[in-house]
Amino acid sequence: MLKIENLHATVGTREILKGLTLSVNAGEVHAIMGPNGAGKSTLAHVLAGREGYEVTSGSVTFDGKELLELAPYERAAAGLFLGFQYPVEIPGVSNLLFLRTAMNAQRKLRGEGEISGAEFMKRVREESAVLGLDMEMLKRGVNVGFSGGEKKRNEAFQLGMLAPKFALLDETDSGLDIDALRIVSEGINRFRSPERAVLLITHYQRLLDHVRPDFVHVLAGGRIVKSGGPELAHALEAEGYEGIAA
Amino acid sequence: MTRLPTRHDEEWRWADLRHADAFAGTPAPANDSLPDAEPHWLDLPGERRLFAAGHAIDRATETPEADPQAPQHPLADLARVAATAGTRIALADGEDGGTVQILHIGTTGSAHGVTRLMLGAGARLTLIESFADDDHDHWLNHRLDAELGAGASLTRIVRLRTSHGLVSERAYVTLGPDARFTQLAVASANGSARSEVLVRHDGAGAHADVNGILLGDGAAALDALTRLEHRVPDTTSGQVWRLVAAGKSQLSVSGGVNVARHAQKTDAEQSLKALVLKRTASANLKPELEIFADDVKCAHGCTVGELDRAGLFYLQSRGIPPHEAEALLTRAFVADALSAIADPALREALDTETRLWLEQRT
Repeated sequence: MLKIENLHATVGTREILKGLTLSVNAGEVHAIMGPNGAGKSTLAHVLAGREGYEVTSGSVTFDGKELLELAPYERAAAGLFLGFQYPVEIPGVSNLLFLRTAMNAQRKLRGEGEISGAEFMKRVREESAVLGLDMEMLKRGVNVGFSGGEKKRNEAFQLGMLAPKFALLDETDSGLDIDALRIVSEGINRFRSPERAVLLITHYQRLLDHVRPDFVHVLAGGRIVKSGGPELAHALEAEGYEGIAA
Repeated sequence: MTRLPTRHDEEWRWADLRHADAFAGTPAPANDSLPDAEPHWLDLPGERRLFAAGHAIDRATETPEADPQAPQHPLADLARVAATAGTRIALADGEDGGTVQILHIGTTGSAHGVTRLMLGAGARLTLIESFADDDHDHWLNHRLDAELGAGASLTRIVRLRTSHGLVSERAYVTLGPDARFTQLAVASANGSARSEVLVRHDGAGAHADVNGILLGDGAAALDALTRLEHRVPDTTSGQVWRLVAAGKSQLSVSGGVNVARHAQKTDAEQSLKALVLKRTASANLKPELEIFADDVKCAHGCTVGELDRAGLFYLQSRGIPPHEAEALLTRAFVADALSAIADPALREALDTETRLWLEQRT
C-alpha cells in the first residue's frame, strides 16, 4: 500500500531523511521507533505534504500513485490520514463543521455524493461514544479548550469518522495518561482491518502493548537501521537505542 | 459649499474621497429605468423602502430634519443640505417598530440622504440600511441621526455593497438611560466606503456595541471611524472590528473611545483585528482612547496578521482544499463581530452573506 524508496528530505538546509526505505502492506501495522532528532516527525510531515519539508530524492507510492505529486488535501482524499503529534486549535470552527466539511471535500474529490445530515450525526454518535467525547465538546472550536489527552482522542475520533486506508500516527501516545492511552489504542485497534494499514511513530514501547504491531523499525540518523517483530520494541526498551541501533 | 476633507485631515487620512471630489457638483439625474434592487435586500420579513439615485421609489419624498444638536461634520452637513432621500421613523414609548430595510442604490452623480430616528422610552427597532450601486461610478452620501429614549433599543445593520464609486455614511446616536444601541457595519465592496459613527452615552446604564466586518477585494478602499463618548457615569460599550484584506484592497479602522472626567465606572472594550490575505493588500488599525476619568475599565486589543499556517495545514491534511480551508478560517475570524446580533435569523443572514463573499473571493 505504501512504498517508500531511498527517501531524502531536507528542512531548510539540513538533510534529515537520508535514504529511508520502507514498505507497508494492507492489513499490516508497523511501528517506527527512534531517538529524538532521528527524523520520525519529518517522515510524517513529508508523507502528509507539509510545506517547508523538501524531498530531494527518492520516491513514495501510495496505492500505486506517486504520493509526492499530490497536494495535502488530495493525499487525504486518496486515503492517507496523519494523526498529529500536536493537534492544532482552531477557534471559531466547530469540530462538527470541520469534520463534515472535510468528509464532503474528500467525497467530492473521489466523485461521491455528500453525506446526509442524518447519516453524519449517526456516525458522530457512534464514533464519539467509543472515544468518550461528548457532543458539547464536539460543538466547540476544533481542539479549543481540550486537554492534551482530549486532543489525541479527537485525532482518533477523526480517524474513525474519515475512515482512511492508511493511518500515519505521529506520537499519538505522547501526553496521554494510562486511561487515555487505553481509549486511544482501542480507537486504533477498531480501525485495523485487512484492507487498511497503520504506521505508528512513537518513542516508547508502552503504546505497542495496546496496539500490537506486526513490524517494528528503528529510525536513526535519517534511515531505518533495524527491523524486526514486536520483540524488537521490548529489546529497545530494555537496552536503549544506542545499544540496538549501533 | 462645504469644503470636502482631504487626506491631510487626520480623521480622513485613509479615506478615499475621489468620487466625492468628482461628483460633488453633479447631482444624480432622476432616472426612468429602475436598477435591479432584488440582489441587495436581506431575505427577512419587514417593511422595505427603496431609493434609487437619491429618489424614493413608490413612495412620497420625505426630507426629515436632521438633529439640530448634532455636531458639525463636513459630509453629514452636506447630506443635510442636499438630501433628496429621507426616512423618518418616530416610535412612541414602548412601541415595537419591527424590522425596516432601507436600500439606497447609486447610479451616476451624487445623491444625499438623511435617516432620522426617534425612539421613545422602551421602544424597539431593527434598521437595516444597505448601500449598493448599479456598476456605475457615483457617490452616495448619507447621515443617520438617532435619539434613543430611556430603555429604548436600536439594532442597526449597515451594509456597504458598492462595486463602483463611493458610499459615505455617518451615524450620530444619542443614548438615554439604559438605552441599548447595537450596530454592525458589513462592507463587502470592491469600491470605496467610509463608515462613521458617533455615539453619545448621555444616560446611566446606556450600552453600545459598535461592530464591523470589512471585506475588501480588488482595489477596495474601506475606511471606518468610530467615536464612542461616555459622558456620564455607569455606561458601557464594546467594539469588535474584523478586517479581511484581499487583492489590492486598503482597509482601515480608527476606533475611538472618549471617557469624560466625571464618567466613572465606564466599561469600554475594544478589539480590532485584521487579516491580510495577500501581500498586495493592506490594513490599518488605530485605537484611540481618551480617558479623563480614573475609575474605568477600557480593555483594548489590536492585531494585524495572516492566516495561521498550522491551522491551514491541519484542515488540508483532512482533505479540505486550500481555498476552502482559507474560507473556513476567515469565517471563524469574523464570527466575533457577528455575535452581538441577538436575532438568530438576522445573524444567520449576515453570516451567509459573509460566507458567500469568502467562498467567492479567497
